[in-house]
Amino acid sequence: MNLLRHPDLLDQIAAAHALGTLRGGARRRFEGMARENPGIRSRALLWQETFTAFTEIQPAMLPNPQVWQRIENLLPATRKSVLPAATTSADLLLTLRRALGLWRGAAVAGGLAAAVAVVVGVRLDQQLGQRDVALAQAQQQGEQLTAQIAAQARIEYVAVLQDDKQAGSVLVTFDPAKRALTLKRVGDYREGDDKSLELWALPPGQAPKSLGLLGAGAVARLTAAEGEVAPSPVLAITLEPKGGAPAGGGPTGPIVFKGALLKTEI
Amino acid sequence: MDLMVRIAAQDGASAAALKELYGLTSARMFGLALRVTGNREWAEDALQEAYLNIWRIAGDYRAGISPPMAWMGVIVRSRALDFLRRRNSERADAAVELDEYLQDTIAGDGDDPLNMADASQQATALRQCLSRLDAKQREVVSLAYLRDLSHSELAGQLSLPLGTVKTWIRRGLTQLRDCMGRFAT
Repeated sequence: MNLLRHPDLLDQIAAAHALGTLRGGARRRFEGMARENPGIRSRALLWQETFTAFTEIQPAMLPNPQVWQRIENLLPATRKSVLPAATTSADLLLTLRRALGLWRGAAVAGGLAAAVAVVVGVRLDQQLGQRDVALAQAQQQGEQLTAQIAAQARIEYVAVLQDDKQAGSVLVTFDPAKRALTLKRVGDYREGDDKSLELWALPPGQAPKSLGLLGAGAVARLTAAEGEVAPSPVLAITLEPKGGAPAGGGPTGPIVFKGALLKTEI
Repeated sequence: MDLMVRIAAQDGASAAALKELYGLTSARMFGLALRVTGNREWAEDALQEAYLNIWRIAGDYRAGISPPMAWMGVIVRSRALDFLRRRNSERADAAVELDEYLQDTIAGDGDDPLNMADASQQATALRQCLSRLDAKQREVVSLAYLRDLSHSELAGQLSLPLGTVKTWIRRGLTQLRDCMGRFAT
């Protein structure tokens, strides 16, 4: 059955998935469909984001003052690290294992703490097989290889760019190691034949930076360096004359899609 | 919240900034940890680990993306779930009556220690939509998410028939969907 033709049912399943009560075979089938289908994936992501807010609305309670004392005492020994602390192979394996095992799961030990939605988004987009292979190799070959895999697999970016009516969206994933920026159109937005859609990074305090044009196809693949993408908290797509805005001049047309760029580390 | 920037700066003032953040947010975060673990001691351990984690990774926080309470909430729930899973294997889990959970299960706007600008729009919408559910439905839906429980685990922990849990969850999700849909437009 094509769930996209049954939006109420899709929402019901996506909500149960995000809540965590969709289990077993039904959960796996839904996740399989979400991997294949960007429309289903975006509903899953939106529900995931919605339920993340459960963590914000619980009643406040005062902890024992000793908790802060303990934290303060431990601060000097708790090294701040540029990369999340995965200093031993055991830690790292734990991190990998959790990344593999916890679909829904929230943040992973050692410092994976982007929004839950991001984790799931990336899980949905990732090729699980590769991670399984990586984990198996890491277990066999010890710390050095583990560290290499960690260095290679750590960071990805995702964004769901929405229009203001939430009728369509563009899913963006960015793998900085491969410099691969992938855009998938969801919904039936079509620019006119005399227009092009152009993707922009919006680094704070700087002029928008063009990342390239979307072709007419459902998927666009662009190349970008991490330094061009990562500093922007937000990405946007504007409607420009055919071939894009004049080079170096910034966008000239209206914003059609925009959304937050989320970083995650697996 | 520029506290995160000051914590991430790794300079002499960072510890003071973490203390300030803790002062502003620990009650809300402890409330969350307590709801997840159902146990004060575990909640305090989870809180400790979560703030040490925030100390390490404050540099990853990006203000344009998520409100600080949502970002920290994800960290705290994750740590609390770790404790819950680790310790559940150690205890004989006595079933708890649902009514024991039913006091004050959603924080009102009034007791929020932070400006609502620090909360996400989703939190505001979810709070309002949950408040329209029947108290028992609200509680079952909330615990399903916060504790990562299946229908049958919920039925076991709350001493409710499985069919009742399924019905409440299904109706609760349907009502939430309708309500959240109105918020989006």
